[in-house]
Amino acid sequence: MKKIIAILMTVCLLFSLAACGNGGTQETNSSVPDGTKNVSDSGAATDEPREAELNIMMSFPQFMDQWETYAKQFEAKMLAEENIKVKVNLEMPSSDQYESVLQARLSGGDAPDLYTLHCNNIGTYNDAGYLYDLSGEPLADVIYENVKATVSVDGKLLAVPIESQAWGVLYNKAIFAECGLKAPDTLSDLTAICETLKEKGYTPFLLAFQEQWVPQLMTGLTLGGIVSGKLPDWLERMYKNEGSYDEVREIFDVIDLIMANGTDRAMEEGSEAGAADFAMGKAAMFVQGTWASNTIMTTNPDMQLGVFALPINEDPGCTRVNLSTSTTLAVHPDSKELDLALKFANYVLDENDSSALFQSCSFNPLATCHNYEAYSWVSDASAYVASGRAYQDLVLPSSVTDEQGRLLQEYYVGTVTVDEIVERLDAAFQAANAQN
Amino acid sequence: MKNARKRNLSLLLYCLPALIVYLAFKLFPAISGMYYSLTNWNGLNKSYEFVGPSNFLELLTDDYFWDSMWFTFKYVIVSVIIANVAALTLAVAIESCRRAKGLFRTLFYMPNMISMVIGGYMWMFIFTKVLYYLADNWGWSFLDHSWIGDPNYSFIAIIIVAAWGAVGYLMIIYMAALQGVPANLKEAAAIDGANAWQNFWKIIFPLISHAITICVFWSLNSGFQVFDVIYTLTGGGPGRATQSVAINIYQEAFRGNIRYGYATAKSTVLFFIVLIVTAIQLKLTGRKEQEL
Amino acid sequence: MKKKGILSDIIVYTLLSVAALFTLFPLLMALMNSFKSNQELLINVMSWPTELHLENYVRTFDKMHYTRSFLNTVILSGLSVSLMIFFSALAGWRLCRTKTRLSRFLLKLFIFSMLIPFSSIMIPLYRVAQIMKITNSVVSLSFVYAGLGVSMAIFLYHGFVKSVPVELEEAAAIDGCSSLQGFFKIVFPMLKPITATITITNVLWIWNDFLLPLIMISDNKKYTLLLSTNTLFGQYSSDWTAILSALILAALPVIVFYAFFQKRILKGISDGAVKG
Repeated sequence: MKKIIAILMTVCLLFSLAACGNGGTQETNSSVPDGTKNVSDSGAATDEPREAELNIMMSFPQFMDQWETYAKQFEAKMLAEENIKVKVNLEMPSSDQYESVLQARLSGGDAPDLYTLHCNNIGTYNDAGYLYDLSGEPLADVIYENVKATVSVDGKLLAVPIESQAWGVLYNKAIFAECGLKAPDTLSDLTAICETLKEKGYTPFLLAFQEQWVPQLMTGLTLGGIVSGKLPDWLERMYKNEGSYDEVREIFDVIDLIMANGTDRAMEEGSEAGAADFAMGKAAMFVQGTWASNTIMTTNPDMQLGVFALPINEDPGCTRVNLSTSTTLAVHPDSKELDLALKFANYVLDENDSSALFQSCSFNPLATCHNYEAYSWVSDASAYVASGRAYQDLVLPSSVTDEQGRLLQEYYVGTVTVDEIVERLDAAFQAANAQN
Repeated sequence: MKNARKRNLSLLLYCLPALIVYLAFKLFPAISGMYYSLTNWNGLNKSYEFVGPSNFLELLTDDYFWDSMWFTFKYVIVSVIIANVAALTLAVAIESCRRAKGLFRTLFYMPNMISMVIGGYMWMFIFTKVLYYLADNWGWSFLDHSWIGDPNYSFIAIIIVAAWGAVGYLMIIYMAALQGVPANLKEAAAIDGANAWQNFWKIIFPLISHAITICVFWSLNSGFQVFDVIYTLTGGGPGRATQSVAINIYQEAFRGNIRYGYATAKSTVLFFIVLIVTAIQLKLTGRKEQEL
Repeated sequence: MKKKGILSDIIVYTLLSVAALFTLFPLLMALMNSFKSNQELLINVMSWPTELHLENYVRTFDKMHYTRSFLNTVILSGLSVSLMIFFSALAGWRLCRTKTRLSRFLLKLFIFSMLIPFSSIMIPLYRVAQIMKITNSVVSLSFVYAGLGVSMAIFLYHGFVKSVPVELEEAAAIDGCSSLQGFFKIVFPMLKPITATITITNVLWIWNDFLLPLIMISDNKKYTLLLSTNTLFGQYSSDWTAILSALILAALPVIVFYAFFQKRILKGISDGAVKG
């Protein structure tokens, strides 16, 4: 019996120790890092400021510095205006893991107060009940209407757009000028451009296919062009299992052209490395969105960057730029600091401060409060939009988008044929339909 | 009788701390994972339905899953053979050294100290930068392949990196076994005039068969779960060409249209396949050991 | 005899040197290029750096919050392994000494899960942690690691205790030691070799583990070294000098640890493997 008591006591002791250890370390944890905590503001305010924490998760590791600065500004603003001492915890998982981390957090009931998500996922997240309706917030009044449409479902504004762009093919204006070339309107124009470039010793296209989403951009652009130019009901029919990729197989004409006139070693080239190489003049064109402009301009500040719409066939009506919103910021409806979270959401489109943030990250203006001058490549794309040659990004099931990226990689290395791609994409689409 | 009960009680108390953490963090998750495999939970929604064995039925006709299974088998067979042959060769070579034994042993184990995430990225640098440099500037054109992009070569690249990370560990086990072989036996064989090869097969090999069982078991087991190396090098690409089962499961659970229930069904199948294969292996090598 | 010896020596040493070069190649290339400027690296990866760009290291050291991440990793692996050792030494010893149907059942219960792939318990495990509200804490994560590691440790202890003569404990009991005292005074010290083995294998496992901290810890103040390294890839994915210096920094602690304790480590590894 004595033994049993002894063991019982050890076990109890052990667990109480563990419990103490838990509390103790948390204390030390908060006092050790950074040393930013300043306790010496005695007598600064008559009312003791309320303390609060705001957890924000973002998929912007490349803009960590910019967002940290912005969060600091927000903290200062809250302290000054609301007498709230906010501590903003910014989490930036690497973009590869971002979605898995976010989902684990959301489904585990440990959701961040605000988080970024891709515009195409708004529907899914809304169905799961993870998006707060922002329609009544001040920010709703400043977002451009065409952008607002991309982040709304049933008239409800569900997320703050952050990255929104009109995009197509990036090209090096200096090389084009030297060869006497201008932006193409049809596929034969583009073929001629490739020939001229090669004659002058330039490689026409930069290929960076290591990450699946980059080759996927080719399907994104070509499908959008074809659907908006001549098959307006294709996507709708796909969702009803009544369409087929066979109807749009002419997209491979231009994909073949790009792949045949591209740089070597595409599968070893990541998106960032690709942007850097493009900036250094390794090729004249790059099928990549304007979000790459930040890397391009840091690598080569003298770069003359332009944008044109990718031609798919001989019909200039199908040659259009893609209007899309990618990253958006959502507010979690169950946030413990919902008020503060909404304040932050509004602050992202703040009248005074947000222009500087958007500019430093090279984001495009998307709200009336953004009064900075647009870059040359943005105005190129805007010219297409102004003349009506643009379409809203197609929303495909994300498993289909992934599959397109994978298949284009395989197509590039030559392990699938166009027929197989058509067959597998049809199957992937039907599987996605069956699930919903 | 009373004594037995008392002994059981005290046993339980001693096991209690271990039992609690084990049940909470391993057994319960494992069992609830199997339960999820019978549901259509998408990992995100708060609600889900019980769908019975339909995930498993769907799995039977899922070509991508079986492709990844086939790739995994291919990977397991090649990597088990290469890593074990290389490890055993190194172990024998080091054992026959007069000098620098410790130095080589220390060196070869080094990669095992480093996380495969770090090792994988280091190799990524080699495959995407260094080998091309050698091909372009030193004229070593045999290196001029798409090591990450061409499925044939990326398979080789994955095997190389995996072997790089595993050989040291296996080698240590083989060396320990070789040291257990009595010196007089080794000498006897040498004096016998039998050539080294025969000497090895006839005398040494049977004595280290236990180490072979352990090493093959370990490399089979880790081979079936291969993730880190492929994840850092090719991410399963191009397309799905280098997708192992673990990568396939990961993508099902975390990418695109997430189907968590379906993904756990896949992990359950993987679990049973690993169980069966290792059981067969232990039976086979065990019998062999006894015969010898 | 002698002639043959020289020839085979040449073969053996050539083979080993080639293998050693292959083993060290990625490490050396990473080290050499981590000191270059990005420009220099892009021009020639095989040259020695013309000057040592230590600022690569200063920058990544800063960006990774190296000291903090390092301490987190130390706490995590140290605490996890202590808990694991303590829990499983008690259990393994008792399981070996008690011969009842229950003990056989418990042992099987502990051991049978050793083959379960981690990927199949990953999300359910995360949910358990959520419900218990223990995510985002290095200390709590140690308990999770202890739970994941006890199977193997109990198995090893159980096997080892068999070789410890029971007479010593009986003698201690006669001297009036309680069974628990007997364990700590007599048995545990005798388990030292296997304890060392378990410590080494598990410290290395936890130190190098990536996926579990990735899902459990999202507050970057509690990041482990690997997590901090990983965030850097997102930030500098086109700048190899930053990535390589981060890799070297992340690998450095284990390399130093290895340099000091390699004999112990290698022995621990081989013992652990053979007995497991």
